[in-house]
Amino acid sequence: MTIASNVNQCLSTIKGIEAQLSSLALNSLDEEAKAVFHETALTMAEVKKDLQYRVLELERQEPQYKGS
Amino acid sequence: MPGWFFIITRSLIFLLLLFITTKILGKKQISELSFFEYVVGITIGSIAGEVVTGLESNMYHGALAICVFGFITFLVNFISIKSKKFSDLVEGKGTVVIKDGKILENNLKKEKYTIDELSALLRAKDIFRVADVEFAVLEPRGNLSALLKKENRPLTPKDLQMKMAKEKEPQTVIMDGNIMDEPLRCSGKGRGWLYTELEKQGVTLDNVFFGQVDSYGELTVDLYDDKIKVPQAAQRPLLLATLKKTQADLEIFSLSTDCDQSKAMYKKNAAILQDAIEKLAPFLNG
Repeated sequence: MTIASNVNQCLSTIKGIEAQLSSLALNSLDEEAKAVFHETALTMAEVKKDLQYRVLELERQEPQYKGS
Repeated sequence: MPGWFFIITRSLIFLLLLFITTKILGKKQISELSFFEYVVGITIGSIAGEVVTGLESNMYHGALAICVFGFITFLVNFISIKSKKFSDLVEGKGTVVIKDGKILENNLKKEKYTIDELSALLRAKDIFRVADVEFAVLEPRGNLSALLKKENRPLTPKDLQMKMAKEKEPQTVIMDGNIMDEPLRCSGKGRGWLYTELEKQGVTLDNVFFGQVDSYGELTVDLYDDKIKVPQAAQRPLLLATLKKTQADLEIFSLSTDCDQSKAMYKKNAAILQDAIEKLAPFLNG
């Protein structure tokens, strides 16, 4: 396992969390819960963007590990 | 005609009459909360019993008496709603028997309760020390309502200053293997969603005895076959755990990288996730 693959894994977990939060936001009945789930899903999207950038950077630095 | 025939017809007629009377008078009559309902309830019952079995008495007189009692109760209820004074008079007021942890002997005497009876009523409410009670009222119907002192009351999340998520009432969407469309609509879902959800849990609709949707849109089912184990809905606790794990991962990345810029980026995002965890915890726990 390299750093690149670790970060990649973390990125996909974040994507999963974002999706689950979105689904909870749609399925919840309480307005406040809906709002909180939606809001955190949006923050997850920001974190996701940062990590995506970092993954690309790592792949450029260590092309031999790309795709692992 | 034989006597038994009369008894059967009279029973049926009076059952219907009593049913209609209580329907008109409403739930209040059944609760027997006030003196008036208590007395009327007993009297109507005995009139009906008397007339049904006593064949020598006139059935129409009995029916008339029940109608009169029902009408007067209806009238009294109607005036009670309009006038507070009148309702105090007929329905009675509560009597304060304990205030600031002290028994008010005079009020107790007025209601002809002994201290033994009072302490029995308190014990029925799991109160064994009179000094723990801030305030207690003898209700018109004879039961006791007690307010404990603040320090003796059960602990609530509010006392601990915990933030709790609001919850809507769960909706029962499956009963006896049938889909209840109205509650399903109340919870903002459709049949398609329900079928998908059942498929996710690996059960068929015919096998479900009872199914409820909670405020987070999670479906819990009870099956006819009690030997089959249904997976418990654990989506939200699992999500919280995943969030915590990811947050820890980001912290590790920030410690292990040499690049200052990425170190700052990881740190920032770890902090963002920590915030999100704190915000979500009340909704994701349990």
